[in-house]
Amino acid sequence: MATSFLWNCTKKFVSASIITVTVSDRYVTVIPVRGGSMSPTFNPKSGSLMEYVFDDYVLVEKFCLGKYKFSHGDVVVFRSPLNHKETHIKRIASLPGEWFSTYHNSDVVQIPLGHCWVEGDNAASSIDSKSFGPIPLGLIRGRVTHVVWPPQRIGAVKSIHRKDWLSFRIPTIVWPP
Amino acid sequence: MATSFLWNYTKKFVTASIITVTVSDRYVTVIPVRGDSMSPTFNPKSGSLMEDVFDDYVLVEKFCLGKYKFSHGDVVVFRSPLNHKETHIKRIAALPGEWFSTYHNSDVVQIPLGHCWVEGDNTASSMDSKSFGPIPLGLIRGRVTHVVWPPPRIGAVKSIPPQGLAFF
Repeated sequence: MATSFLWNCTKKFVSASIITVTVSDRYVTVIPVRGGSMSPTFNPKSGSLMEYVFDDYVLVEKFCLGKYKFSHGDVVVFRSPLNHKETHIKRIASLPGEWFSTYHNSDVVQIPLGHCWVEGDNAASSIDSKSFGPIPLGLIRGRVTHVVWPPQRIGAVKSIHRKDWLSFRIPTIVWPP
Repeated sequence: MATSFLWNYTKKFVTASIITVTVSDRYVTVIPVRGDSMSPTFNPKSGSLMEDVFDDYVLVEKFCLGKYKFSHGDVVVFRSPLNHKETHIKRIAALPGEWFSTYHNSDVVQIPLGHCWVEGDNTASSMDSKSFGPIPLGLIRGRVTHVVWPPPRIGAVKSIPPQGLAFF
């Protein structure tokens, strides 16, 4: 009797684990944010001791890998183009086919087909497309929608288009029309 | 009595589906090969009517996304750098940091950190790194190990380095 109870418990535990793993892989998961490249959105390192010691945790949704069209200001999780074993979190600044520049330099980059330009909110300390160029959208593993830890900053992550980003499409002129 | 039997059946079916989905996502899956850019390894389109009408199906393992180091000649499934909704199958010809050239042209390309050069076995009709350049290893979604359909060609896929020169 005791062994069949234990067996039932084990079966339920294994089923629950497998369902959790599947949901975490395909639909939604929670991950920690390391480093200060997205400060002050994540890990602002200001104020309480709690914030200094513990990393932020965020909710990442993976429905966006299906039919969703990424937009400016989305915060995404992606595999690093320099090391496929690392993942990073940055904000999308520019989409395929657009021309991108910032106020800080006079270079203008055209984003190739299937790629995007990502930047960290903390421009001073962020390894992003400024270093490794535009990244293929195929490297994106999910989109950050909410902060879930620490409790005082629980809330949605807004899709902000930063004011110092200049991103524009050059319309194709067909002549004669 | 009948409804509890049906409920038990449904529970087992749903559990089996979820386990299959998890295994397919994380460990091993079977996919069809479209097109002939990997001919004659896949879809050789020669001989029997069966081969001409039906695509090959291959076994793809995803353990390689963990600690495995990719090597020359591995056949991999990857997301296209031009369109993240498409996946392609090609063979790895060169690895990060190597200088790569083919017999057919005199250009030499250095493969950047974290990238690789992929080519199809059917060089005449293959959209690969010759068109879109080296791809980040992060786009790779799995490694092809076996052909599982059609039956005459069931067997392991060999890791043959393609015809080219890779310098280390």
